[in-house]
Amino acid sequence: MRRRWFFIGAIALFFGGLWVLEVRPGQLIPSEGGREAAGDFLSAAFQPALDYEESDMRGGEVSFLGKIGKALWLTVRYAVVAMSLAFAIGVIGGVLGSRAWWSKPNLFLQVLRIGTRLLATAIRSVHELMWALLFLSAVGTSPLVAILAMALPYGGTLAKVFSELLDESESSAGEVIRAAGGSGFTAFFAGVVTKALPDLATYALYRLECAVRSSAVLGFVGIPTIGYEIKTAYEDGHYHEIWSYVYALLIVVILFEAWGAKVRGLLTKGTPSRVGEEKGQSLSELWQGRGRSWFLRFSVATLAVGIAAGWMAEDRWGAGVGWEQRERNLDRFTGEMVPYPVREADGDWSVFGSWFSEKMSDEGAVALWRTFHVGTTAILLAGGLSLIGILFAARTLATSNPRGVRDGGSKIRGLLGMFLRGASMLARAMPEYILAFLLLRVFGPTYWVLIFALAIHNGGILLRLGAEVFDNTKSQASEVILAQGGNRSSAYLAAMMPAGFNRLVLFLFYRWESCIREATVLGMLGVASLGFLISDAKVAFFYDEMILWVCLGAALVFVGDLTSDFVRGKLRTAE
Amino acid sequence: MLEFQSASLSYGATVALDSIDLTIRSGEQVCLIGPSGAGKSSLLGLCNGRVPATSGKVVLNDQNLGELKGKALKEVRSGIAWVPQDLGLVPNLRVSQNVACGQAARKGFWGLMRSLLLMGKAEKERVSGLLKRVGIEKKIFARVDHLSGGQRQRVAIARALYQQPQMILADEPVSAVDPERAKSLVELLTTIAREEKMTLVMSLHDVDLAQRYFDRVIGMRAGRVVLDGSPDDAGVRELYRLDQ
Repeated sequence: MRRRWFFIGAIALFFGGLWVLEVRPGQLIPSEGGREAAGDFLSAAFQPALDYEESDMRGGEVSFLGKIGKALWLTVRYAVVAMSLAFAIGVIGGVLGSRAWWSKPNLFLQVLRIGTRLLATAIRSVHELMWALLFLSAVGTSPLVAILAMALPYGGTLAKVFSELLDESESSAGEVIRAAGGSGFTAFFAGVVTKALPDLATYALYRLECAVRSSAVLGFVGIPTIGYEIKTAYEDGHYHEIWSYVYALLIVVILFEAWGAKVRGLLTKGTPSRVGEEKGQSLSELWQGRGRSWFLRFSVATLAVGIAAGWMAEDRWGAGVGWEQRERNLDRFTGEMVPYPVREADGDWSVFGSWFSEKMSDEGAVALWRTFHVGTTAILLAGGLSLIGILFAARTLATSNPRGVRDGGSKIRGLLGMFLRGASMLARAMPEYILAFLLLRVFGPTYWVLIFALAIHNGGILLRLGAEVFDNTKSQASEVILAQGGNRSSAYLAAMMPAGFNRLVLFLFYRWESCIREATVLGMLGVASLGFLISDAKVAFFYDEMILWVCLGAALVFVGDLTSDFVRGKLRTAE
Repeated sequence: MLEFQSASLSYGATVALDSIDLTIRSGEQVCLIGPSGAGKSSLLGLCNGRVPATSGKVVLNDQNLGELKGKALKEVRSGIAWVPQDLGLVPNLRVSQNVACGQAARKGFWGLMRSLLLMGKAEKERVSGLLKRVGIEKKIFARVDHLSGGQRQRVAIARALYQQPQMILADEPVSAVDPERAKSLVELLTTIAREEKMTLVMSLHDVDLAQRYFDRVIGMRAGRVVLDGSPDDAGVRELYRLDQ
């Protein structure tokens, strides 16, 4: 019954969202001029540039491929350096936000824990693009802006997740140490951290993959990563170059993901020992035969060298504008971020209420409402499509022996499954913001673009997660249905889906929270929502309004986070 | 009629079934007995073509199961119900929905979806009738994970009956319940199968039950048929004694 209401609610929310956003299928058909431009843009996808499209640029100091390489290097470097800082924030915040190290709870520790968690949630509620805009407005362009813009929200995210992982880590080993007279911290490090370490490292690696995508997106606000090159190439009308950058980015993100997956697998499962059963082996032979992975060692060393090189390779961390100019910028920013009427009334904050109400009734409330619906409609579309896609992509179904029951059918299923898994990998690798940027060239500025960009990226993620859940969930009910002549879709519908339903909803809420976060910035591409108001205010140097819209976006994400946490907690308990 | 003609089954180097020759006539109540690893589950796997024979043939009503594919294979399977050892129920669905899954092959995807989401009155009555027959009609709208082990077994039997099969394959369906409950379930299944003139092939560990309720007992050991006869056959006890 609950499932039925969930589906009915989801369908109502989806169509309600389309109605609120006033989107019509007709908006998907571009005008004649738009069709021509879209055609040129899309056809360029099949002929990515290997050299500058502008003949004047050819034969210059830096070749086109060299330019791509430099943009990629900066993209990866900023991501790695930012993640090293985020990791430090995450570790400190994660420990302070956890209760696993407490010997005895007291009020101070409780307040510290809740305060840290709220702070972590608050800083991660502001999207890295918004942090970048704030820092750019406050101090001007510099590589440090890119690092801080990513390190803060990622640090907040790591702190939140680390504290949860530490709290969830089984503490019986810690209790044994405590019982043997060890201090709370000793028990925490030896009994809790050691157990949680593979999960902590796994999650940090996953965020590193995300940071590479975020780093690329920061290019759209002027940081010299690959996103900057994509934007510039578009402004110059160099469509073939755009696709070269996009493909280069996809390759790097996919490589990062493949490397991350391999390392995470080794961290989680460990490496089996090579020690045989024969007797009489010496201690050194046993040591030599212990489980170890050269790949893992090489990866850790490369990462350490990469982080050090990333920090040291930049000799102009504060560069961009001079210190005097930066001070002036900061003064102006801090002065003008105070709401205009408050400034006019010599700091009298009693006028803030009327200004806030006016801003909200003028455009804020509508933008907020629409941003919420963009994120929600997109995740529902992604969820619906991935539910259908999983049926064809799950490895245990996309075979001639579905769920181990011989079928003897054609190989088309297997090929379709492979195609879908490949498409899902590409969708995951493409940042939503860049996807929306590309789709805007095809459909023009409509909400469809934002919905599709979010739905494609998140659909790819949900498809992968969902297929993994179904492949790994034992369901003899599905085998019974297949063995009695039912088809794959019946087994999927009646046995696999009910068994994995809670997990799917869990993933849906996890991605919904992320969709809402992304929806707050996608409007910066020119579609009326919160992001649009933010970029509009920045262009006009209305920093008070800009801060207001950023805070409003953060509040939306904050509420989304809490709702998602609550629902996921309930679902986990129900499992 | 189901015929095994020198049917063998191997998993890599492991031989699960070794050149089995058997004929099971329609309407027969057959019990497979033997120790764990004797090949009972593998033999049941060949009966509905879930796994193909590595060599030899399994022929059901003149159709070689190993050669059937896709629709033809599904068509044959729609007449064979299977009750696996862990019963194969969906724990978080209601009893009525689990029973409706028995008609998955005949209904197809959309028909099954309708049954799961909006089961009609007529279907509810049919399901209720079956549940009454297996003695749990009051549990029709209960979630399966809220039922006792014995009640779940009855749901699995109801689902098998809802399929309206010509043959029921049951793989140690009573291995996890106490002897009294096991007895009543085997009695229920054999009685219904006799009344409906269905073939029943069930694997069991309990020789007493095999002797009491079945027409024919097939003893297996190390992938071979070592005994095939009536329940009164002295060899049945002998096989039982050797297993102890």
